[in-house]
Amino acid sequence: MPNRDEIYAKVSSTLQEALNVDEEEVKPESTLQGDLGAESIDFLDIVFRLEREFGIKIPRGELFPESIFQGDPDFVQNGKVTDRGIAELKTRMPFADLSKFEQNPEVAGISDLFTVEMITNYIQGKLDGKN
Amino acid sequence: MRLKDQVALVTGGSRGIGRGIVKALAAEGAKVAFIYRGSKEAADSLAAELTQAGRVVQALQCDVTNAEEVQRCVETVEKSLGSINILVNNAGIIHDDLFIRLEPKDWNAVLQTNLGGTFNFTKAVAYSMMRQRKGRIINISSVAAEHTNPGQTNYAASKGAINSFTRALAVELASRGVTVNAIAPGFVETEMTEAVRNKAGDIIKKMIPMRRLGQADDIAKAAVFLASDDASYITGQVLIVDGGISLGAAPV
Repeated sequence: MPNRDEIYAKVSSTLQEALNVDEEEVKPESTLQGDLGAESIDFLDIVFRLEREFGIKIPRGELFPESIFQGDPDFVQNGKVTDRGIAELKTRMPFADLSKFEQNPEVAGISDLFTVEMITNYIQGKLDGKN
Repeated sequence: MRLKDQVALVTGGSRGIGRGIVKALAAEGAKVAFIYRGSKEAADSLAAELTQAGRVVQALQCDVTNAEEVQRCVETVEKSLGSINILVNNAGIIHDDLFIRLEPKDWNAVLQTNLGGTFNFTKAVAYSMMRQRKGRIINISSVAAEHTNPGQTNYAASKGAINSFTRALAVELASRGVTVNAIAPGFVETEMTEAVRNKAGDIIKKMIPMRRLGQADDIAKAAVFLASDDASYITGQVLIVDGGISLGAAPV
């Protein structure tokens, strides 16, 4: 069972390959879209690569629940995620750090939750059998 | 040698346009695997001819409509020649008849081979091309997609769909260095067009501004161009290679 540093190193190298970025660019807090330039097809590629790299199965929408709030007024109002929406995010993405997002829960900011650290948390939980 | 050490796979490669494409890619230095369905003799003779000329070539029998068979076939090629950089979806058939008489089996056979085969092979290589950040997918369409003849509802539909598929896939793969283009041949002298040529060859020639039927090699040269680095900024296009027939000029 790899420890956290080993998982992080593997996640980092996977992202370097998938997104064609240098090692120095990949930091724990780097966001996939904003900092590392990921597009929708990249998210799919990242999932495939992580599955192969770690020998795990990642069900569709589990790591990147992109469509989580699509068109649901219970979760989103006036471009902001509601309290119920934040509760939903916490349930769906226990591996994401929502502390900053909660202060200004704009829908557009959801993509910033997808960081290198978040993926590392997710993989670690997956390998521990928690997710 | 514009394609030195590239690995190409051509479907429907033993005869007609596909055969010409196999030869042209091999002549530019690519290692070429080609797929045939029933024409073992033609496939063997092509493989022997190219091997003798010092080219690297592999012939495989495969039904392009069978996704599992296609997957296995691609894995075989990857093992023997390496990752595929160039895919030419060429396998195509006609089952011409006036629509009123057209049977579901004629419709299905043409759609499953021409469009379904294109899907199956593209599906089997696209992710690997994406990971390599380089790839060329070339779909053989037809001017019949836009300028059709009576008796070809099934064929025209399959080729029109290939053009749309080409554009849609090009958008998805562009950022990964994979280009997706189509070639729309006009009237090419192959076994597939033999019946029509016998019936109306002279009329057709008059409809072609260049006054000659296309040869497999005319199409193959376009395929080599699209497969080469010269075409690296071209994607989602349908290149018409037809001696001008689709310009619709009145016969002189």
